Amino acid sequence: MKRMFMIALTIAVLPLSCATTTERVLDAGDKTQLQKRSYESRIFDTSDKEKVLRAIISTLQDLGFVTDRADFTLGTVSGTKYERYQIKITVSVRSKGKDRMMVRANAQFNIVPINDPKQYQDFFSSLEKSLFLAAHEAD
Amino acid sequence: MTKIFTILVVMILVVGCTPPPTHLFLVTPEMPTQRQLETRRYDGIKETDLLSACANVLQDLGFQLENSEPRLGVLTVSKQRDATDAGEVILSIFIAMFGGGGMPISKDQTIRVALVVRPVNDSNGNALPDNHYVRVTFQRLVRRTDNSIYVETLRDPKIYEGFYEKLSKSVFIEAQKI
Repeated sequence: MKRMFMIALTIAVLPLSCATTTERVLDAGDKTQLQKRSYESRIFDTSDKEKVLRAIISTLQDLGFVTDRADFTLGTVSGTKYERYQIKITVSVRSKGKDRMMVRANAQFNIVPINDPKQYQDFFSSLEKSLFLAAHEAD
Repeated sequence: MTKIFTILVVMILVVGCTPPPTHLFLVTPEMPTQRQLETRRYDGIKETDLLSACANVLQDLGFQLENSEPRLGVLTVSKQRDATDAGEVILSIFIAMFGGGGMPISKDQTIRVALVVRPVNDSNGNALPDNHYVRVTFQRLVRRTDNSIYVETLRDPKIYEGFYEKLSKSVFIEAQKI
């Protein structure tokens, strides 16, 4: 009887760690939209879109990524790293006022989204060095 | 018995929320060596001509173009090839002979390359005309006979030396407009 109960409990627990498809498609992590945008973004004091995009590509290459796609008009770069695991990242650039650019990144590790602000901080520190510019937190 | 079930339940709960390792985006000490291996400088050729010479070499090697953005000096290409490795085959035969069962071996692979051309800057950060760096990275995604997949970045210096040897010839031809 006890054994049957334990088996039933195990089966009942299994789906607990799973989310529904809708939740997975629309998952935005446990932070609010604003918090997420804030740690995924930085502002740089330059109006040179090409320079920022080239620095992003260069930074990603330094970190071992292969650039999958780059689009100057849209201001996006995406890359993949293969190192026993797989990381995918998309970085976008848009102008913020006349003389500033906002850079935003979002990444996933294998099939898990990267939601740790420290990981993005590491990425932006590398980008700062490549651009010779300091990154500011987004407003 | 109860203990085993408890452990199992705890394990299932933990598996559902394993976070990625920390510091995925930190530059490691090996990275500058890899950059050196992947980069060459070409002078006296325009960026578009250099990019076109690069595209030509990648075609020589049988790669298919996946993506390009000449405004940012980017080319992404890939090709599918056989991945059978003689050493692995022999090892799997030995393992099977000694009753180790069928070991899955590499079957086929997708080789991916990103090639990026960027201007060389002077000490004031201004681009020098007709002076460029080319940086290329090779990765591969290998499928085994049991359909499992493993991925890696290729680090053998021979691959990079061989590629740049071909590119240097191609750049020369492009510059001479032969």
